[in-house]
Amino acid sequence: MYIDPEQQQGPLERHDVEQQNIIRRLRSLPQEIPQPYDWAEFQRRARERANADTLRGRSARWHAALAAALILVVVGIAVWARVTRPVIPLESHVPGNSKLPVTGSLPAVGAANEKRANDAERWLASLPSEPVVVRVGTRAAVTGLEDRIAQLDDFLSVARVEGAQPARVAELEQQRVRLVNSLVQVRYAETLVSASR
Amino acid sequence: MVRLVEIDISEELLRRASAGDEAARVVIYTATAPATFALVRRLIANRAIAEDLFQETMMALFERLPQFRREAPLGAWLRQIAVSRCLMYLRSPWHRARLHLESDGEVDIPHGLSALVTSPPAVESFDVERALASLSPTTRAVVWLYEVEGYSHQEIAQLFGRSLSFSKSQLARAHVRLREWFEPSEGRHTCTSIQSNSKVL
Repeated sequence: MYIDPEQQQGPLERHDVEQQNIIRRLRSLPQEIPQPYDWAEFQRRARERANADTLRGRSARWHAALAAALILVVVGIAVWARVTRPVIPLESHVPGNSKLPVTGSLPAVGAANEKRANDAERWLASLPSEPVVVRVGTRAAVTGLEDRIAQLDDFLSVARVEGAQPARVAELEQQRVRLVNSLVQVRYAETLVSASR
Repeated sequence: MVRLVEIDISEELLRRASAGDEAARVVIYTATAPATFALVRRLIANRAIAEDLFQETMMALFERLPQFRREAPLGAWLRQIAVSRCLMYLRSPWHRARLHLESDGEVDIPHGLSALVTSPPAVESFDVERALASLSPTTRAVVWLYEVEGYSHQEIAQLFGRSLSFSKSQLARAHVRLREWFEPSEGRHTCTSIQSNSKVL
């Protein structure tokens, strides 16, 4: 009677034999496969890749140059706009300034303006530099007003140094007071919003 | 038939090839290309991608040839380049995305489902290539590197940037899957027909 040797093996031995068979089969696979192409084709493909890499490099450099040029243009426009920003007549956009004295003798106006500006600036200085809740629109308005005040300060300094006419200095001071007033109003509104939260 | 790791090239030929001698390079290409392509094909089932990786490997070989220090046969050095290129591809997000989009035999068929969705060859003519192709790319690479190329689990884990148990579990998984392929056909056919019947019912 024939007894199959595999039948006599336990599951562990059979498992090992199967595993060895698998490994033997894997190792029996050909170690070489004819290469897909010859040397000439290999070289042609290598050149093609090198060209593609060069093109890709060039394209990347071109894109970088374009981006740099764009940034330069944007920065240039921004700088130009800032330098050549026209001084808009304040009466056109400062609300609630009808109460401000726009007439009267120059020294009187100057004194009133100075007092008003000092009070407003003292109050502004007592505020934190930024409110608890920052709103983009309000912040932009505050920044804009602060910039304009700084610009007027420059004009005033120049006017005083160059000994400009008192009427011109008073006009500038008046504009400054209006701007400070507007800033006070906006900052006051901001503090109210912050307090209500 | 020569294994890639066993291929060695004479000092003189290497020196000439490093210096850019085309005739020497042709000799090296002719000597190493078939074994290199075989290795790449074992690791990457898709032929077009395997050709790309083969091209990259051979280009890297000639570019880096001056750095070759002859501490091992040239074939062993070339094998390192080929394996690292292939694994880099297998680890790439592009490959993973492609696996999700395509089902060209590289997709890992869930365990036990292979008997249903493929028609395994007869016992007498086991197609080892097809059995390998039925494995997921990662599992196939691990089993090939461990069982045929002789890499250790530690080396495989390093190559994949994974843990030691990753290599071990992938190998165990590969053996289970391959055993399914190589087990006697009667059992599998019975199993398949039962599963098919139950599917019909």
